[in-house]
Amino acid sequence: MHSVKFYPSNKSVSVRSGTSLLEAARKAGLEVNTNCGGEGICGKCKMIILEGDIPDKVSWPFNEAQIKKGWVLACLSLVYKDLTVEIPKKHRGEGNSTPVSENFGEEDKPHINELHYKTLPVVTKIYIEFEPPTIFSGQADHQLVSNGVKKRLNIPTMQMGLKIIKILPKVLRNNNYKVTITVGLRRDIAEIMNIEGGDTESSNYMVIVDMGTTTVVAHLVNAHPRTTVDSASCYNSQSIHGSEVTGRMIHAERKSVKVLQKLLVDDINRLIVMLCERNNVDIKNINAVVCAGNTAMEHFLLDLSTNNIRRKPFIPVTVEPPPLRASEVGLKVNKRGLLYSLPGISGWVGSDLTAGILAVQMYKKKELGLLIDIGTNGEVILGNRDWLVATSASAGPALEGASVECGMRAEPGAVDKVFVESGIIKYSTINKQPPIGICGSGIIDLLSVLLNEKIIDRSGRFIDENRTSETGEANKRRFVLVEETNQEDNSIYLTEKDIENIITAKAAIFAAITIIMQRLSLKFSDLDTFYIAGAFGYYLNIENAINIGLLPPLPLDKFKFSGNTSIKGAKLAAFYQEAFNELTRIRSATTYYDLLGADDYVEEFKKAMFLPHTDIDYWRAIS
Amino acid sequence: MKIPEIRTTSKSRISTVTIGALKADGGTRGSTITIGGQSAMPHLSFDGESPHPPVIAGYISDIVPDWPDFLKEAIGSEINSPLEWAQKAVEEFGVNLISIKLRGGLAETKDKSPEECAGLIEDLLKTVDVPLIIWGSGNEEKDRLILQECSQAARGENCLMGSATESNYLTMAAICKADKHKLISEAPVDINIGKQVNILLDDNGFSLDDIVMFQTTAALGYGFDYVYTIMERARSAGLQGDKLMARPQLCDVGEEVWRTKEATVGEDILEGWGEARKRGPMWEAVCAEGYLQAGADILIMAHPEAIRTIREIIQ
Repeated sequence: MHSVKFYPSNKSVSVRSGTSLLEAARKAGLEVNTNCGGEGICGKCKMIILEGDIPDKVSWPFNEAQIKKGWVLACLSLVYKDLTVEIPKKHRGEGNSTPVSENFGEEDKPHINELHYKTLPVVTKIYIEFEPPTIFSGQADHQLVSNGVKKRLNIPTMQMGLKIIKILPKVLRNNNYKVTITVGLRRDIAEIMNIEGGDTESSNYMVIVDMGTTTVVAHLVNAHPRTTVDSASCYNSQSIHGSEVTGRMIHAERKSVKVLQKLLVDDINRLIVMLCERNNVDIKNINAVVCAGNTAMEHFLLDLSTNNIRRKPFIPVTVEPPPLRASEVGLKVNKRGLLYSLPGISGWVGSDLTAGILAVQMYKKKELGLLIDIGTNGEVILGNRDWLVATSASAGPALEGASVECGMRAEPGAVDKVFVESGIIKYSTINKQPPIGICGSGIIDLLSVLLNEKIIDRSGRFIDENRTSETGEANKRRFVLVEETNQEDNSIYLTEKDIENIITAKAAIFAAITIIMQRLSLKFSDLDTFYIAGAFGYYLNIENAINIGLLPPLPLDKFKFSGNTSIKGAKLAAFYQEAFNELTRIRSATTYYDLLGADDYVEEFKKAMFLPHTDIDYWRAIS
Repeated sequence: MKIPEIRTTSKSRISTVTIGALKADGGTRGSTITIGGQSAMPHLSFDGESPHPPVIAGYISDIVPDWPDFLKEAIGSEINSPLEWAQKAVEEFGVNLISIKLRGGLAETKDKSPEECAGLIEDLLKTVDVPLIIWGSGNEEKDRLILQECSQAARGENCLMGSATESNYLTMAAICKADKHKLISEAPVDINIGKQVNILLDDNGFSLDDIVMFQTTAALGYGFDYVYTIMERARSAGLQGDKLMARPQLCDVGEEVWRTKEATVGEDILEGWGEARKRGPMWEAVCAEGYLQAGADILIMAHPEAIRTIREIIQ
């Protein structure tokens, strides 16, 4: 065994000979950026060896100075001696240790109120002052409570576990029959989950989770009144087994789904603990976890086999799991707390999509709408109140800030806007923090600016030698947005490889949009509203997105930037049972069109592998 | 019964490109060639017009290509000298223009300097008075230098330079603009890239009217159908209003056909396939004829027999 000490966290871990530095870091509980899952492809898990040495050092992707200083890729570096290692700031996956509030609250409050839902949250707390029984009017404690709740909530069937029944006499009498009852809705059946003394109606917390392939986002909400308290996000730790779900499914099949379940559940637990600590909320007061995510993610969460999802005819185990005890999957909330895994559509269109449809309410409108969810898997839904068609295309994580060297999630310090002012390329960061990386919206802006400034051509190649610099690798150039002179490798830049990944992502999504429109013989001009969802934080510059061809050139007022609709929809479902039930309706009303059967997809994809598009006349004619 | 009107009218025309410059226009050519200008698909004369028939460019290389003996014999001993070969192609084979490939510039062959290559172009311009298509060695880095020198040497002669790709279009556009040449835009059997290269050139202020498209050529049996459909789609798009695709097209038939087994090996290998001496030129002619149907405006060809056959078809 050898000891490996990591700076700056000062964590030590002891590992067997031949363990990779990446595994060692994970064992030490440290998050390290990696997209390829430790296969030496992405070049993101950079570390500096301060003391000790490793055999067979790989020089890529470093320059000479860096190699001399001891830079290595953690996934390709095997430990055979005691080591002291530094993880440079940029290469730490910081999500789990320093989460950040994202945009919610002000923005989603009016959104929820204007929908006129009136029903109960999935878990509700009611304060009841019972008449203490007398010799003339006496009901058993169990029936007293059940009838009281039935009457108040107008619910026909009620169930109560023996554990709760056992504590009834004490809780009722110790509190003078003034108690708060926690009621969880499991479809049509209500369950009394807890009973406690006094009025605690106002601390009915739930956690809403968007389980993205690349990013996991959690919102802490209170159901009384319905408010979002805080939010946090982290990169999905499953990415060590591949940046896309297919790789993870293969891993699950070879090893076990449990491995992936644990990584995901640990991520969610960490976010929950963090949210609770930050807001002084007792974890026991979290009565429900409501999760949305793609179908594979939901399977991983529930430890269900994903083997058949990736094989023809792509059949999942379930697309509508019943509510379960959250503790059954290892979520650390109230022991009787419920886990709602929202209903999805098919093996490749999950509840993040049904939640998205719910959030933008397109299934209630007469007008034709199109929703795109820009994530690792780009999803497209087209339709109105009469019909809905969904499709999905693998886009890669570039627009979420991953697979871009200086990319990061939308959090403080991320460059989120890039613009030209008096001929100079400028930027702004989230919360005006010093820049540490660039997030999706900044990436879209920067690409658009580089194109307008003729620093890149429409193929995404650098064509201005004066405004780009060499990377150290032969024939490789980069555009430096933020120059950091004192600390090497801390500047923020974009390489041609990054640009290629971004173009690939936008092309995959745009091709999916094109095909679904073509299949229904619709033109872009037939669309009334174009909803854009994705983990972009506050902001997305629509004009720039059109300029690079992520979006078609439509009048700007047709676009509606809706943010993270997965979490918004999941929140609606958590807050209103009516909305929850609508998910089932959405599920059955949506037809999934599989692009695997579209033999013109590749052609459309290739057409879109250009800025903005090979059919450039269409852009020129309209914009 | 009334016969229904089935004529297709095109929305636009293919651009007209002239290669070569006469004395009056600042060059030294005795003739020029003009291609393009169509308003209908090939051979559909009832739909529109095709004012300029396709032309044949004689395949010339500065080093002797690795070709079967029967082909070298058909060309004659002149194959050993690019100047004599070009002269014979014009005078005896009857080609309309000359296509010269400077393969000798490759390090693996003769590693000729850009100046040597340019010297050959100067001599060639003196030897023949038909227009020229000038290609580099095939090595992109070296061709930046070779083609720049050759372009200067042929300044004012309005040659067709080959070729601009996604990765070198900036250099090629600058060279051709400076020395007033026409330019081949090349794509690797990909209609989208074909269009993209044209957009890139257009973005850089290179006039689309000075472009001839080259979708890469495939010999019969080696992806001919892919290239055929790409050329046909490109032409069809051009006629239906896509300005970026409304450009004349070039096919390098000779280069591809004479690399195939079917055109070159004898009956000892391909039993029952007939004499290679006859089969080879037929293969080249059939391939070229196919591309005429797809919308080729310039065919680069090597075998005198095949050239004769296609010339007759065109006439």
